[in-house]
Amino acid sequence: MEIVAIVVERIAEFGVVLVSLLSVKNVLVLFGATILGIVFGALPGLTATLGVALLTTLTYGIDHDTAFIALLSIYVGAVYGGSYSAILLNIPGTAAAATAVDGYPLALKGEGGRALGMTTTASLVGTVFGLLCLVLIAPMIIDLALAFTTFEKFWLAMFGIVISGTLTSRDLVYKGWIAGLIGLWLSTIGQEQLQTFPRYTQDLPALQGGIDIVPVLIGAFGIPQIIKALGRKLEGARDIALKRVLPELKTIGRNLHHILRSSSIGVFIGSIPGIGEDIAGWVSYGVARNTSRHPETFGTGEVEAVVSTECANNACIGGALIPLLTLGIPGSPPAAMLLGALMLHNVTPGPMIEFENPGFILGFTAILLLAAFAMWVSGMLLARQVVKVLRVPPALFMPVIGVLCVIGSYSLGLQLVNLYLMVVVGIAAYFLSEMEYPIAPLVIGVILGPMADENLRRGLMVSGGDVGEIFTRPWCIGLLVVIGLTIASQVPVLKRWRRKAWRRFAPESRDAGMEE
Amino acid sequence: MNNLLKIASVAALMGATVSASADYPARDITNAVVWGAGGGTDVCNRTIMAEMSEVLGVNVNVVNKTGGVAGSIGMNFVKDQPGDGYTLVGLSESNVTSAVQGGFDARFTDVWHPFIVGGSPDVISVTPGSGFDSFKALVDAAVGKPGEIKACASGAGSIHHLNLLAVEDGTGAKFQFVPYKGSAPCQNAALSGEMTVVVTSVAEQAQLIKGGKLVPLAVLVPEAFDIDGHGTIPSAFDGYPDLADVLPIMQAIGFAVKNDAPDEVKQVLGDAFEKAMASDALQAFGASNYYVLSGKHGEDAKDVFNALESQFAWKLFELGAAKFSPEKFGIPKP
Repeated sequence: MEIVAIVVERIAEFGVVLVSLLSVKNVLVLFGATILGIVFGALPGLTATLGVALLTTLTYGIDHDTAFIALLSIYVGAVYGGSYSAILLNIPGTAAAATAVDGYPLALKGEGGRALGMTTTASLVGTVFGLLCLVLIAPMIIDLALAFTTFEKFWLAMFGIVISGTLTSRDLVYKGWIAGLIGLWLSTIGQEQLQTFPRYTQDLPALQGGIDIVPVLIGAFGIPQIIKALGRKLEGARDIALKRVLPELKTIGRNLHHILRSSSIGVFIGSIPGIGEDIAGWVSYGVARNTSRHPETFGTGEVEAVVSTECANNACIGGALIPLLTLGIPGSPPAAMLLGALMLHNVTPGPMIEFENPGFILGFTAILLLAAFAMWVSGMLLARQVVKVLRVPPALFMPVIGVLCVIGSYSLGLQLVNLYLMVVVGIAAYFLSEMEYPIAPLVIGVILGPMADENLRRGLMVSGGDVGEIFTRPWCIGLLVVIGLTIASQVPVLKRWRRKAWRRFAPESRDAGMEE
Repeated sequence: MNNLLKIASVAALMGATVSASADYPARDITNAVVWGAGGGTDVCNRTIMAEMSEVLGVNVNVVNKTGGVAGSIGMNFVKDQPGDGYTLVGLSESNVTSAVQGGFDARFTDVWHPFIVGGSPDVISVTPGSGFDSFKALVDAAVGKPGEIKACASGAGSIHHLNLLAVEDGTGAKFQFVPYKGSAPCQNAALSGEMTVVVTSVAEQAQLIKGGKLVPLAVLVPEAFDIDGHGTIPSAFDGYPDLADVLPIMQAIGFAVKNDAPDEVKQVLGDAFEKAMASDALQAFGASNYYVLSGKHGEDAKDVFNALESQFAWKLFELGAAKFSPEKFGIPKP
């Protein structure tokens, strides 16, 4: 009975904090920052990290509550906003590339509005799930996340590359892996971080710092799309069947197990320091497909897939805040920016945060909840309007996208070399996609390459050159088995055997099983 | 007619330049921080810039331009911008190594007119499970089993790495050094049990020390350091007098404008900097972040950076971690 009383008291306390935040100014800031975040997420080249960074300086002089409302809203909005361009244009503005795999086919079928409605609700559920984990079971998650050391991060990065290659190949799976390896190679260009040894730099100062991710992302996804659309090879997505954007509660209910599973994956991956939303999206996509009864429909516009990736993306936010608030170690790049913002407001997150700033976590989670709902409301209102851009003929629309790509690539570092990089990668990506090579693994390779490379070599330094540890640590074995199964599941003989075994052992079983 | 036009346009141009520096700052200023977002240099720069922009009456946009060798990407970027005071560089003591590591082709103070906000002293800590309860116990173990105790600091050539090397020099201990990408990943590695010893600044560790997640053994400066809520951390110099030859190597976090900026610009920035340093916000920032505030700028700050450059450059050269000899740039021995 005492526990019930405590819980009721906590909820009442939470409600009081929540209501106290709702001044007119705060509500305006809440929606303003959320919509700005959605724009940041949707535009190629603008990222959640950049959005949080922008508001960090702008909110310096403002009071704590309003400042944190602005920062968390833009964070949540930007992570969600990536799904717009991913679904409608097949040009993921953020790392939401996994959403594009099934979201864009849905848009091609004229169900773009429906897909956006689903992702909006999925993002809300994901964010709230992450928030609940942050409040209720942060200490347990942090212990699990700390078990992921150098070698585990290496395998996790490799897993991300392998699985994105496996999942996106249309015809032959090794084409996806080849694309992933090209990306991995691109990521090694530049001075490596452990011993500052230059690799493939050709003594060009521009290559010294390595390849920037954003121009590669924009070039690889945007340029081929523009070339194809203007060459009339591509029927653009249509907006014929926009029945309703509002959430289909039935569909949500049917996908509840996907939502819960993907959110758990998102929270866990978000809580591992240094690993962000992109890997969460891919892992969640992979698990959704592998546990589905009809994996063959994935990639052709499967609602389950879109819901899974977007849930995981947004659950990552709560996950990334767990190590940030409990240890002072950011879980993802935007969370790193958020750490800077907190310190600007003289709040140093860490084990002593509740002691030094009583009530801070309660207020912070209340703000996150508000941000999640503001995102949902804005998303529901925007989705209906945004889908209309598909009515603009490609001949008018694509040049605009082209200009946005150029601005996006240039604006981040203000370096001309990034424009050359975008064009070169874009043309290469066009020819690769003409040859039916998937592009997403290439980008994922560039994003996760440094993580794989550095952690492998750092791990060998930690183990004193002992290669055995790579294969014998418990989590490493787990990841290795999963990677092995992912590859093996693509071997034709094993594929047939698996289908046969599935039919024999589980003829009537539902695809709900398997958590994580 | 033609000549007249030329003269007129030259005169107009000159007029424009003169008025540009007299009116400084006439538009927003960009400060490119060469280290990552949320890190010590970044947060410090955002704080001081917010205060300075109030004095200057224009916005100062803080951006991060990271990467390269010891921040060379960001430094070269700002170096290539006109020296009009509209592009500043946010940097720290660790950037003085860029020249000898092949990232920057000049001595630090030949290019920069620096402003130092301050810095936090380095502290050597261990994990609670390691069993070491004093700096002496750790040193004895590391002398007895050279190269077996795992110690981490941010990348090779960083200030924390140099502090670790200085500890080895001054005590005869030998650790197995593993570089991480910044202080937060280092501390994470210690928390996960992957590393035993971690060297970062007091500011970066304070929360973990107070929370009992890390055990501080000694600060690497001559005086002991108080952390309220924890107690006093002794100085490593007690019992190891040889450390005084190689330490302290203290942080110098701040920003710089190019030397070739007009004197008026340096004057305006210097005044704004002094006012910002005296502000309540910055004093509070210093106290809550375990900083020793400096406030030096111009020639005084150049002396500090020259000394740091000698220490850093020659140490790296001895280690074989430098690409060029410090002599190439005329950097004197410490």
